[in-house]
Amino acid sequence: MPSICLNGITKRFGNVTALDTVSFTIDGPGCVGILGPNGAGKTTMLKILTNIVKPSKGVATLDGITVSEYPERALARVGALVEQPEFYPYLTAREILSFVIKIKMVKEEKEEIKRVSELTSIEGYLDRKAGEFSRGMKQRLGLAVALVGDPDIIILDEPTFGLDPSGMKRIRDIIKEINARKNKIIILSTHLIYEAQEVCDRIIIVNNGKIGYDLNNDFAHHLKIELELPGKNLDFPKEMVSQWKAEGNLIYVQKVDGTRNSEIIEHCRKNGLEVKWVTPYNDIESTYVSLTK
Amino acid sequence: MNAGMTKFAASTSYYFRNYYRSRSFYLMLAMSLLVSGLMTFFTIRYVNSLTGFLPSLNLASLSMPTKESVFGFLWSYVLLYLPVFSSVFFGSSAISSEIENRTAFHIFSLPISRSSLLISKYLAAVMVTVVISMIYILIQAATFIYVFQIPLISGFFYSLALLIIFIFSMTAFTFMLSSIFNKNTYAYISVFLIYFLIFTAYQFIAELLYKTTPFYLLDNAAGIIEKVYVNISLSPFNFTFSLNPVGFGEITQSVLVMAIYAIVSIAVSLIIFERKEVK
Repeated sequence: MPSICLNGITKRFGNVTALDTVSFTIDGPGCVGILGPNGAGKTTMLKILTNIVKPSKGVATLDGITVSEYPERALARVGALVEQPEFYPYLTAREILSFVIKIKMVKEEKEEIKRVSELTSIEGYLDRKAGEFSRGMKQRLGLAVALVGDPDIIILDEPTFGLDPSGMKRIRDIIKEINARKNKIIILSTHLIYEAQEVCDRIIIVNNGKIGYDLNNDFAHHLKIELELPGKNLDFPKEMVSQWKAEGNLIYVQKVDGTRNSEIIEHCRKNGLEVKWVTPYNDIESTYVSLTK
Repeated sequence: MNAGMTKFAASTSYYFRNYYRSRSFYLMLAMSLLVSGLMTFFTIRYVNSLTGFLPSLNLASLSMPTKESVFGFLWSYVLLYLPVFSSVFFGSSAISSEIENRTAFHIFSLPISRSSLLISKYLAAVMVTVVISMIYILIQAATFIYVFQIPLISGFFYSLALLIIFIFSMTAFTFMLSSIFNKNTYAYISVFLIYFLIFTAYQFIAELLYKTTPFYLLDNAAGIIEKVYVNISLSPFNFTFSLNPVGFGEITQSVLVMAIYAIVSIAVSLIIFERKEVK
């Protein structure tokens, strides 16, 4: 199983502290979203994981291998798209993919070029030079490069940046498709909350170089219940709901593992409250805003 | 081939392609053809009447090998600028461009060591400079065979071998300066200033004040490429002239100087490149 560990990472650029003793672990497959405003430190975190910058303090490991000490070994099973990618302008997309295939020691070159180019919809542009590519095409080529060799760890820094809505959807679908296989770690840095909510299993919010929020993006545990009338004197047993709050005729609840939605609705009814509808909800947006304002 | 060598070969090959398809390559190629064309015209037109160069030298009275040596010197004198400008084009931006053009984000995250990347790019830059210089050299060889009607003299081959050593050292020198900067413009300007201004100024001062030629400067060491034909120094303060080529000792000394420049420059580039970060 792939793993990623950041242990007490601090990164300073001169007097500016980009990351301040950041630690987190990803122990198994899944998509982890790194959310944060510009300058929060999320790209620096990914740069440390991909050996683009070295930490001032702390250790980053990929599959247990320290990135700054053994970058070649640590990055062997990693595919990365960091910042808006640029490529050697006089090489064609096919040559760039072929170069990465050789560096990653992938055997079936033609088949691999076909696979990643079809996955990212660049198969019609393979023989064009990268210098002639639009921003969106470069982004798709960058994603194709990251997917070469079917890596165990995929690091994507704002992969939908500069894409049109259909291109963004295509990339999100690719990420979801890869994540559905449940055998890879995907780290997705984004400032689009809905993108993180749609794609990720876990969300880490970074602000001012620190982690402010790290929680499973588990929609099933969070419910928004709309009542016919505002709830009065409603209480939930602790074995059913761990946290709840009422706002007018809306009730936000965080379920305890094993509790079914029907049990919550039944509980409301028993307390004389008619439920209009129940929807899963996630409070990441308000958490993000409160952490980053 | 082991994994490291395979990656290194792939990297060199792709860097070479990126270089030879660049506008800089075609510009240098055009310059090489233009200059060699001018030199061909000059050689054919003035083969027996080069009075403007050395009035005391009666070319018509010289043997064909000696005459070829004199023209070999002149061709090499011009040739020396080609690897310098090629290195400036291909080497000065070699590392700074990875940062400025942001290609570093792509290559640094690949499972290949930075030293492999740097050395492969260095070799690619050397190869592309050799290609440009070889165009000139081949035209020179064809012109000499046509004009002098004798096989190429040994000086030609010594000069060629020394030229390749110079290309290695000049390219390494530009790589070193490129590794210091994150902007291409600063790297270009620094190479020009150091090679054409600081080296020249230092040499003038040394010759004027101490009556000595600083053999340890790269541009002076490179002068050996001309002097293996005839030993002429065109310095205004230290003019010397002999129709014989320089001796083995001076060749060895120049080769050593060029080799030291190459090794030290690449070592410094490697140290800086290993620590390079892209903010």
